[in-house]
Order: sequence, then C-alpha cells, then structure tokens
Amino acid sequence: MSSLLEINNLQASVGDKPILKGLSLSIQPGEVHAIMGPNGSGKSTLSYVLSGKDGYDIGGGSMHLDGQDLADMEPEERAIAGMFLAFQYPLEIPGVTNMTFLKASLNAVRRGRGEDEIDAAQFLRLAREKARALGVDDEMLKRPLNVGFSGGEKKRNEILQMAVLEPRLAILDETDSGLDIDALKTVAEGVNALRAPERGMLLITHYQRLLDFVKPDVVHVMANGRIVKSGGPELALELEASGYADYIDEAVHA
Amino acid sequence: MLDAASYFEQVKQALPGDVEARAQALHKAEALGLPTRRLEHWHYTDLARLLKKPTQENAALVATDFSALNPSEVRFEGGVMQASDDAGLADWPALSLTGAEDASDAMVLYNQALAQAGVVLELPEGGQKTLLVTTQGSAPQHLSHHTSLARGAELILIDDNMASGYSNVAWDIELAEDSKLTFVHLQQAGRQVATSTVRLAENATLTRLNLLSGQDIARHAGTIALQAAGARAELHSAILGTDAAHNDVTYVIDHQAADTQSNTTSYHALAGQARGVFQGKVIVQRDAQRVDAQMQARAMMLSDGPEMDAKPELEIYADDVQCAHGTAIGEIDADALFFLRTRGLDEATARQFLITGFIEQVLDACDHEPLVASLRAHIETKIATVLGQGSAS
Ligand SMILES: Nc1ncnc2c1ncn2[C@@H]1O[C@H](COP(=O)(O)OP(=O)(O)OP(=O)(O)O)[C@@H](O)[C@H]1O
Ligand SMILES: [Mg+2]
Repeated sequence: MSSLLEINNLQASVGDKPILKGLSLSIQPGEVHAIMGPNGSGKSTLSYVLSGKDGYDIGGGSMHLDGQDLADMEPEERAIAGMFLAFQYPLEIPGVTNMTFLKASLNAVRRGRGEDEIDAAQFLRLAREKARALGVDDEMLKRPLNVGFSGGEKKRNEILQMAVLEPRLAILDETDSGLDIDALKTVAEGVNALRAPERGMLLITHYQRLLDFVKPDVVHVMANGRIVKSGGPELALELEASGYADYIDEAVHA
Repeated sequence: MLDAASYFEQVKQALPGDVEARAQALHKAEALGLPTRRLEHWHYTDLARLLKKPTQENAALVATDFSALNPSEVRFEGGVMQASDDAGLADWPALSLTGAEDASDAMVLYNQALAQAGVVLELPEGGQKTLLVTTQGSAPQHLSHHTSLARGAELILIDDNMASGYSNVAWDIELAEDSKLTFVHLQQAGRQVATSTVRLAENATLTRLNLLSGQDIARHAGTIALQAAGARAELHSAILGTDAAHNDVTYVIDHQAADTQSNTTSYHALAGQARGVFQGKVIVQRDAQRVDAQMQARAMMLSDGPEMDAKPELEIYADDVQCAHGTAIGEIDADALFFLRTRGLDEATARQFLITGFIEQVLDACDHEPLVASLRAHIETKIATVLGQGSAS
C-alpha cells in the first residue's frame, strides 16, 4: 500500500444516526485534495473520525495512514504518526500560553517520533520565524491559546501549529472561512509553503477562493456521508456555478 | 485546640498582653462554641465536626521560590516568631489593636485569646516593601497580624503557610489613600482558619490571591470594606483539592462608598473526595452609586468523588450599579482535551495542561511580573507533584 491516506468504505455514526455511510478516498504523497459539499454532509465528522475523536461508532470500513491502521490509535498516536487537523472552530484554552502549548506539543510529537526534544532557545527561534511568516505577532504567542483571538487570528494560529508540527497529512477544515482577503492569502502562502513530495493535504472548503491560491490535484464532492464525485480542479468551478443540487439527489437516491 | 480552656491555662503565663482581656475573649468564644453549619457564614464548613477528623498527611510540599522579589522575611513556628530579617516590624502589642468587644465569630475570639505573636507592619507614606511571612512546624499556632499602609505606600505581602498542624491566623489591614497592597496567601498543609479584614480608603487597591492546595482543612474568610471612592479590590482564589481536602473561601465585600469596584473569582479544581466551598456576598450600601462588582465561582470536577458548593450573593441597596455574579461547575472540557491530544499531548499531560490553565487564571489580575512568575512556577510544580502520579483520582 503506497497511499498516504487510504479510506475504504468507512461508516461512522453518532448514537443511532449514521453520518459517514461508506466513504472511500485515497491520497497519494505530495497530493492536495479538496472536499466540497453541502452543510451537514459529514465533512467535519470525517475529519474528527480520522483524528480519533471519541463518540463515534465505526460501523465498518477502514482507514490507514501510511499503511498504519488508524482505528485503534489514540488521537496523540495519530498526531505522532503525522496526522494533523486544523479545526473548523479552534478552541480557546485559558491559562495556557500559545508558546507553552506549541513547545509542549512539538516536543511530545518529537519524543513520539524518537527525535530529540528541542531546547527553549531553539524553539523560540523556530516559533518566531514560523509565526512571522504567518503574520502571528509575538504578543499573540504570549497570550493564552486562542483566548480573545479574532476568528481570523485563530485560523492563522491553526496553520502556525501545522507549520511547527510538520505533519504527513494535514486536514484543513474550512480554514478559509472567516478570513479576510489578505489573511486568506497569508494562510494560503503558509499552506503552499508546506506542500511537499512526502506530505498530503485535505482541504475542506465551501469556496473556490481558497483553491485559487492553493491549487488542488483532486476535488471531491461529498454528500450525505459519501464521496459522490471526484475530478480535477475544474470540478470546483463547476460547483461554484451550479451548486450541489445534482449531487444531493444522486446521494439520496443511490 | 479542641480543649481551648486547658490549652489557655497551659500557655497563659507566656502570653504577652492583658491576660484578663484574653480570658474574657476565651469565655465568649467558649460560649459560642466552634462554628457549625447552623451559622450562615459557616454553612458549608462544620468546623466542630471537621476538626474531629484525624489530621491528614500532606502530599509533598513544594517550596516556592520568591527570591526574584528579594523580600524581607519573617518566620513563625508553633505560633512564635523565629527569625526576622530586618523586616522593619513594630512591637507586637497583642490585643490592643483589635476590638475584642465587636467580635461575634468564635474563631476571631479564640485568636484574640490565644494569639502569641504576629507581624505588625506600618508602612509610611510612599513606602515600598515586599514581605514574606512563612509558617512551619506542626505545633498549634495562633497568629494575629496587623498591617497598615499610609498614603501611597505599596506592599507585596506573601503569607506562605507550610505548617502542618492547626492554625488560627488573623490579618487586620488598613489601606490609606492611594496605597496598594498585593496580598498572596499560600496554604499547602495543615488545618487552618484564616480570617482577614481589610479596609480601603480613597483610591486604595487590594489584590488578594489565595492559592490553597493542602489535603486537610482550609477556611479563608475575608471581609473587605471599600470605604471611599476609587477603592478597588481584586480577590482571586485557586484551589487544588485532592483526597479528603476541605477548602472554603468566604468573602464579604462591602461597598460602603460610591465609585468603588470589586472583582472576585474562585477556581476550584477538585479530585478524590475533596470538598470545595465558595461563598461570596457583595453588599452595595444605599448611597454607593456607580459601584462595579463582579463575582464568578468556577469549579472543575476531576472525578466523580468531589463536591462543590458555591454561593455568590448580591445585596444591593443602591440603584445605579453594575453587579453580576455567576457560577460554573463542570468537568474537564472534552473538546479541549481532544484538541490538545490531536497536537500530540498524551491524555494525562493534556489534562494537566487544562487543569493548570484553569488554575492559573487566578493570576490574571496580577501585573507584577516576578510575582506572577514565582506563583506560576509554584502552581505548575504543585499540580505535577499532586496529579502527575495519577494518585489524585
Ligand atoms: N455529535 C453529534 N450528534 C448528533 N449529530 C451529529 C453529531 N455530529 C454531527 N452530527 C450531524 O452529522 C451531520 C454532519 O455534520 P458535520 O459537522 O460533519 O457536517 P459538515 O459537512 O462539516 O457541515 P458544515 O459544512 O456545515 O461544516 C449533521 O447533520 C450533524 O448535525
Ligand atoms: Mg464542518
């Protein structure tokens, strides 16, 4: 298996409500995929299930990252294996500064990967450099994680975490929503800077705008818990013009 | 302590001051008896019953490093002053500074009867000082402290309690115009009843930080009187309650004048069979217009065993005021925990982060960087020591 991410007929439900209904998707190293789809189709749920959130029953199917079966891995084990999720709604964590958190996180991941921990001075240099590139100023690094950050600042902060952790697969759940034009460009530059032959990305978005800046290799349409169509970048443009109506019908009647 | 009368007989020859006045205070205290939950003010802390419990062992004490603040130091052991390093303290005149007649609280009366020593610090106009008071040892102690700040004086006062036995501590504090007191109270051990009274004149500021993390009994009662315009009280408490710890923070905040402010918070993180109590009463007197009084009690329950009682109250007699209070009791936020774990932190570390973050909000109101750094280090070490081994839940 050479895929970076391989999802096969994945089914997940909350209580007795099925949300993912046999979803299949594979991402090769170096590829950027986009998922678009109507509200409530299960995009965020997919990102949570992949990252290991509690509360979902996996009714069937499989998911592998780099050949490792994700099903029985804890969220932190998945992070160490290279999974990263930029949250649609980033959380506020009072009392823990951005800096303290980033350092603990990076060192936890490094330890888990059998690498040496990074010392305080090295870390400071690294964090400042990556933060500057994303327009995150020093003051934001000292503040409690996301507390009182604007919507756009929170999103930028998610990308900063991605840049520091250097994951194998990054899932960006509507990172573009709530960004102004300039912030969108900054974030897109941050994402593009991380495009690499060994890394994969899954962009969940409602808008073509992000895809103008970060050109995807593959675009998927998700409806009613499955991928109902896949194509090239032109598919996103088509959706922008004609909406999801065709796909919703197709998914419901399939 | 349980038999105060015979204790008094034993020690009275050695007690400074007016023995007769002490005997009277003791008599009144004995007539009232140890507080029980029948008293409103003690509703959640039945001291008479709690003191019958065997003394609890304390988890490793964590010495707090205040050296960056370069404080003067006073040390008490067994209720006696051991050493004072040029603290500039005045003689201790025992009862003459307190009004025994006014006291209706048995614990204050016991303190007046039995107190053997204390700090007397009168900071002159414009004076500045940092004073560290520490207590050690396991013998019972009764301390009566008195502090006054003259106009514009600034004091950082740290009362660091490591004594493991019973202690009854009283602080009487007077803050003159434009003075500023930062008053930190740490308790890591023992069974302590601490009662403080602070009076604030025009534009005086009190920042009070309580950090309680012992496994036995802590009762912190404070009466804050905001007596003139511009007076402001920031009262913040953090409690790490584990095992069978009982931690009670009780405030009465009396806005006697217009244009006064208070902001009170408490953060209880509770595990094991711990009990947490927060009582706060904000009183806004009739002509005290434009008062701003905020009060928030929060608790984080770390397991199924602990119990939290929170009772914020407002008693408002003025009409143009901004007052609010709230209570939030919950578990560790599952979404926050998941978020941290997706960033590679294992569950125990992620929990510890969230608990530390929760507790450290107590420092938000303090703008003295070296003090904040010392207290932050204390909190982090303490949490790692107490919760790190998974012993607490
Ligand atoms: N914990 C849950 N309990 C019950 N229903 C849930 C839960 N989580 C998600 N759902 C439901 O599953 C469906 C998919 O939700 P999800 O958040 O994955 O959608 P989405 O595609 O990300 O939507 P959006 O574009 O609005 O972000 C929705 O109908 C939602 O209400
Ligand atoms: Mg979503």
